[in-house]
Amino acid sequence: MAAQIVIAPLLIALLTAIATLPLRRFPRAQRAASVLGALAYLGAVALLAGRVVDESILVYQLSAWPSPFGITLVADALSLFMLGLTAIVSLASVAFSVRFMSGFAQRISYHTLYHLMVVGITGSFLTGDIFNLFVWFEVMLLSSYVLVAFYSGPEHTRAALTYTVLNLLGSALMLLAIGGLYATVGTLNMADMARRLANPAQFGVDPVPVLGLTVLLFCVFALKAGIVPFQFWVPAAYRAAPAPVTAMLAGVVKKVGIYAIIRLYFTVFAAATLPAGLGLPGFVGNDFLSFFGPILFVMAAGSILLGGIGAVSRDGLDGVLAYSSIGQIGFVILPLAVAATVPEVRALAIAAALVYALNHGLTKSMLFLASGTVKEAVGSVRFERIGGLAKRTPVLSIGFFLGAVSLIGIPPLSGFFGKLLVFRTTAHAGALGGRGGAVALGLSLIGAILTIAYFSRAWNRGFWGTESEGVRTATYAPSLVVIVVGLAGLLLLVGVGFDPVLRAAEAAADIALDRQAYVDAVLEGLQ
Amino acid sequence: MTQFVLAGVLGLLFAFGTFLVLRRDIVRVVWGVTIISQAANVYLVTMGGLAGSVPILGHGPPDNPATITDPLVQALVLTAIVISFGTTAFALVLTYRIHEEHGTIDLRELGETGGEH
Repeated sequence: MAAQIVIAPLLIALLTAIATLPLRRFPRAQRAASVLGALAYLGAVALLAGRVVDESILVYQLSAWPSPFGITLVADALSLFMLGLTAIVSLASVAFSVRFMSGFAQRISYHTLYHLMVVGITGSFLTGDIFNLFVWFEVMLLSSYVLVAFYSGPEHTRAALTYTVLNLLGSALMLLAIGGLYATVGTLNMADMARRLANPAQFGVDPVPVLGLTVLLFCVFALKAGIVPFQFWVPAAYRAAPAPVTAMLAGVVKKVGIYAIIRLYFTVFAAATLPAGLGLPGFVGNDFLSFFGPILFVMAAGSILLGGIGAVSRDGLDGVLAYSSIGQIGFVILPLAVAATVPEVRALAIAAALVYALNHGLTKSMLFLASGTVKEAVGSVRFERIGGLAKRTPVLSIGFFLGAVSLIGIPPLSGFFGKLLVFRTTAHAGALGGRGGAVALGLSLIGAILTIAYFSRAWNRGFWGTESEGVRTATYAPSLVVIVVGLAGLLLLVGVGFDPVLRAAEAAADIALDRQAYVDAVLEGLQ
Repeated sequence: MTQFVLAGVLGLLFAFGTFLVLRRDIVRVVWGVTIISQAANVYLVTMGGLAGSVPILGHGPPDNPATITDPLVQALVLTAIVISFGTTAFALVLTYRIHEEHGTIDLRELGETGGEH
């Protein structure tokens, strides 16, 4: 047994959050506890990953109530892939915060809120129950509302208002969808839901309302992931939040939406088929995925184009990074759209989406941290005020350059493999006669060119521009630069030693598509 | 009969909540969101069925298990109520901070004065 280890990352993050509260009188001890907690989290995730390699799917039934009656936590290759990303980005961001955030800010509640956000993220990745997914989302969002409003100046409160109101509406929508799913399918457990949807006649499930409810739920996940047309809160919120928090929001919190889409739509809801077909113009097939495929495709196209064009026209580093984040999410969604429409390349396509998500998580968090370092030293990240950075801080600039080049997709950085896999997926789909394969290929090309455009613009105007007064007199905190460069080194490391990452992503994609194994593991006692 | 009344009430609550969310005054927007999330809670309760008897088991098995209202949704709604209580409190505090920072709670004025920094 000993499946209790599934709960270890959750408990460690929660205990760290609690421990930082009474330690607020001792700032050094509080910071030490926070960083140690993030380290222990990484350790727990590594330990859990080792167990998952051995046993494939680990299931922990809380209080030994068997599913589907109790609350279930499930750890498999897919959740571990996302948890690994969380652990790395979280450790880097916490270490960055220690020097970046003012002493007063850290003392009040920063570390507690930060680790509570990690608790919510961890719970969302591990839960096997759709209502608990809602609860963990709320845990994550409640802390992130406060973190977005953290500086509490005029533009921060404004951004926090949009962010909060939108997410509250999203939560209400999610509750509606979950309630409706419970009433139509008769269960909240994901594995049980997959089992019932696969045999609708036996359990008396009508798939037509289920499709409608899953569309409602899909809007919520798209809102969390910031996919077009639900992207409008992203730039303001990312600019308002402190840099290490933005690194977490762009690097990990967005991926929670992606994870939920993969887990629910490819593992659970894909089990259902409509008996009479979709009957909608432009939609072929009778399963749920063939309905979501074209929708995902349009959303991916919108994200890539809007994000790319938006980023080209920004005049500050933070704006470019925020819009680029919208565009890059499009690159994660594009292979998912291919996966939904062309079943032959499904495993490859999901692996491509996961690799791209990992690459974007690492790279974008690094870039936001680099932008934060510049902001701390120079006082602004507008291009006209940060000219000449490359000459003044070659080390930091090399870090930023590596990140930009990685997102553009140049070997041997990790971003190259992300792009390569996306291109390979779309090309495969095109070769198999999948509809829109050529369009997808063209779209990813346009997206890649836009990425080159906005990063070379940022580089030329910001880093290579004429040296400004602020840049000449600025002093850069070495510890912040070390973290940025460390993450840049990690990008290089992932690129050079890509094989284990690819195998992890493939294992995650396989487990995401292996519905029977998931159902068998979770509903052990029921069959 | 109950379900028709409840369906009507739910529709009205959602309509009223949406109306408030679209107002210019931030406090009204927050109340609108609150009303929508409360309407979602009421909707969630109705998902357990309305016609059954109380979900408390006496001694021994019930005569007909099918007639008992599903108690799970009520547990779910309790959780959802706690969450929406917390978020409403936060949203109201945020409204107060916005008034302190911008001197207005009119969304249009907020949009004009607090553009990109």
